[in-house]
Amino acid sequence: MNQGPDRSAVLTPLTTLSGDRFDGALDLERVRDAHPHWKTEREILTADGNTAAAYATLQMWRCVIFPGFPITPSTKWIETVAARVAQEPGIRRVKLLEAEHAVADYLVGAAASCRDLIFPTATSSVGLDHMTETTRSLGASGLGNVMIIDVYRATANFPLCIEGDPSDTLAHRDDGFIQIVARGAQQIYDTVIQSPCLGMQPDILTPTMPGYYGIKDSHRSARLVLEPDRDIHEFQDAWIRPCPLPGLINGDTAFGNCVTSRHFQGFKLAQKRRFERVLEVLPRIGADFERRFGRPGLSYFENVGWPADGRVDLAVVGMGPDFGTFEAIRAEEEARAGLHLAGTAIRLLSPFPREALRRRLEGARAVLVVNQAHHGGRGHLTLDVIDALSDLPKPPRVVSAFAGLGGANVSEETWRAMIDAARPVIEGREVPAWQLFHEGVRL
Amino acid sequence: MSGYKETALNESFFRPGSSLCPGCMESIALNNIGRVSDNGVKTIFALGTSCAEVSSLAFPNVVAWGRGEATSPDVRKSFGIIHNVFESAPTVAEAARDVADVLTRAGALDFPVQVLSTSGDGGALAIGLRSLIHTTYRRTRALVTVLVNEVFANTGFQYSPAAMPFAETSTTPVGKAAPGNLNPPLDYLHLAIAAGADMVAQVSPAHGKLFLKTVERGLAAQGTAVLFVPSPCISGWKFDDGQTVSLALLGARAGVFPVFTWERGKGGQVKDCERDAAARPPIEEFLGAQRRFHHLVERDAASGTFRARPGREGEIEQLRGWVQRNVERLYALAELK
Repeated sequence: MNQGPDRSAVLTPLTTLSGDRFDGALDLERVRDAHPHWKTEREILTADGNTAAAYATLQMWRCVIFPGFPITPSTKWIETVAARVAQEPGIRRVKLLEAEHAVADYLVGAAASCRDLIFPTATSSVGLDHMTETTRSLGASGLGNVMIIDVYRATANFPLCIEGDPSDTLAHRDDGFIQIVARGAQQIYDTVIQSPCLGMQPDILTPTMPGYYGIKDSHRSARLVLEPDRDIHEFQDAWIRPCPLPGLINGDTAFGNCVTSRHFQGFKLAQKRRFERVLEVLPRIGADFERRFGRPGLSYFENVGWPADGRVDLAVVGMGPDFGTFEAIRAEEEARAGLHLAGTAIRLLSPFPREALRRRLEGARAVLVVNQAHHGGRGHLTLDVIDALSDLPKPPRVVSAFAGLGGANVSEETWRAMIDAARPVIEGREVPAWQLFHEGVRL
Repeated sequence: MSGYKETALNESFFRPGSSLCPGCMESIALNNIGRVSDNGVKTIFALGTSCAEVSSLAFPNVVAWGRGEATSPDVRKSFGIIHNVFESAPTVAEAARDVADVLTRAGALDFPVQVLSTSGDGGALAIGLRSLIHTTYRRTRALVTVLVNEVFANTGFQYSPAAMPFAETSTTPVGKAAPGNLNPPLDYLHLAIAAGADMVAQVSPAHGKLFLKTVERGLAAQGTAVLFVPSPCISGWKFDDGQTVSLALLGARAGVFPVFTWERGKGGQVKDCERDAAARPPIEEFLGAQRRFHHLVERDAASGTFRARPGREGEIEQLRGWVQRNVERLYALAELK
């Protein structure tokens, strides 16, 4: 009887039959030594989100080639990197490709050549879309040393919009990247530093896509604490160890094989399992970051106004900088609306932390989910929240709102209107499947 | 430069076991490129989606790639191959080149690395022309090979921008309203020169010694070497078993894909293809050997040679004109320095 291939080999293809690795073929300490240390002391300055993201990549010793192609609103990332590299005599270089697809292809070749270096880029919207053919391959490739920073921008050319809503990153949920949302220059900087630590874990080996809102965060300046390069290196080196798998230069190996359906299924199962490992590892990296640098590190989400017993009338779930407006008015709204209000800003988008979110929201009477991107149904975030709550015997009712589409401002008035629109549900009445808000008014 | 006999004894990185069609020129080309690259230098090979890829880079049994029966203990003899998406092989190769160079500059890598890429003409001249041109324009130190079989063979022999006029393909079928492909092929040699290549060549393994020497020169080039390999496709062109090499020779000599070699600063040569049409094999002979031109020519019962089918004389004249212009253009390109 034909037993077929060994099941373990089918299920763990990245760790079997990868070829041979030549230990010692590369002396990466030389690359570390060649890093032009830029900040030797902690420094506080004012910077916008793109600048913060650029600084973070410049400070990593493992980033030696910076491929890029400009697209609004991410362009300042490559410009900032180029300006800095132009001042350094040394080994680092900026690589300007002819299109975003070329950037993504370049990332594949570079990351496969040396699996211990980090290859970053930044893009937005249709730029990310233009990469899709390759990002979908990267997602399953095992190349956790690729980082695509997505500066969120509405994906639409009819009409054209250059402003920041997260429809681009949400359209790429299933590319296979670890997607992490950041808001504010500091969190952007911190997230870019931590992301490769997550993606390059040997039992994760998945590329990362840290992201932030275009214009609202990419172009808005705020206080930024820059850490010394050596402290960043020490933090990353504690998490990033030499990749156990061969690369093109230090290995005798093959990437991107053609597989039959049975083996493909094994690859996809292995990819999904590696993805799920993110849920366990991310909080540990975040905790270590906080220990070292005294600021919150990576987490599944951020919580605002939650009482110790977790019981509130209305829980608000959103993401991005507009959540900050809710944060600012939450206490005042509690008084106005006569409701116990709390909020949760999603940070880990993919894989979605459904179980943790369920535990967070189970004490709420109702949940208001604010979606900021076009969706054919009730909203990407809404569906994820409903799924997260579906295991509860009596899940809270979910009110789905769309606001801030195309980067529109989600004003205090808009937040009040959304909170008021959720009240009927708390009182046991029905509301539409979704509601659209703009400039303080329910449309 | 190595001798022909010595090279023949080298260990190729392309090994038996692929499922390429018997008689495929690609396997001959890859086998020979593999032998030339067995020169004691670490090799990285980027492969675009193509017949070569789907027929060889299988998982878990990567039977057709790798130097020798087992991995050498010497990293300098090791071989890394990567396949990314259809059109990306030159860009992927460029990245490998850049990473090797930056590691070398840092002192982290103390052995040389040679980088090659291979795409089909579909991958390099249609969807991947951007990648080919820009990798060349950026003077990537790599040997970029394009296996030109004039069709998207891997997916069922659809039209490619390298297709000859009047060629029947699955997307330019011959019918009452259409005589096959109506577009002349893209002038890819000229494009590669204009993009800034250090070396451009069009030669198949049918010209054995020259092919090997050209590959060797390409690997030694300081910029981008672009090698177009005319690759008669037994399944797509529909010719008889055993005719691959002779058809490649005939196509070169008839002026369809003349042997052409060119180096920046030195100029080039057209070889084994006379400028005078009367001194070249007639185009009908080339067309008649392949059923993709079955609608144009027939065998004359008396002479045994091929002639235009009745009513197709106009197309044959057009092809003759195209071939002559093709030859003239290459002689003119050879004058460029």
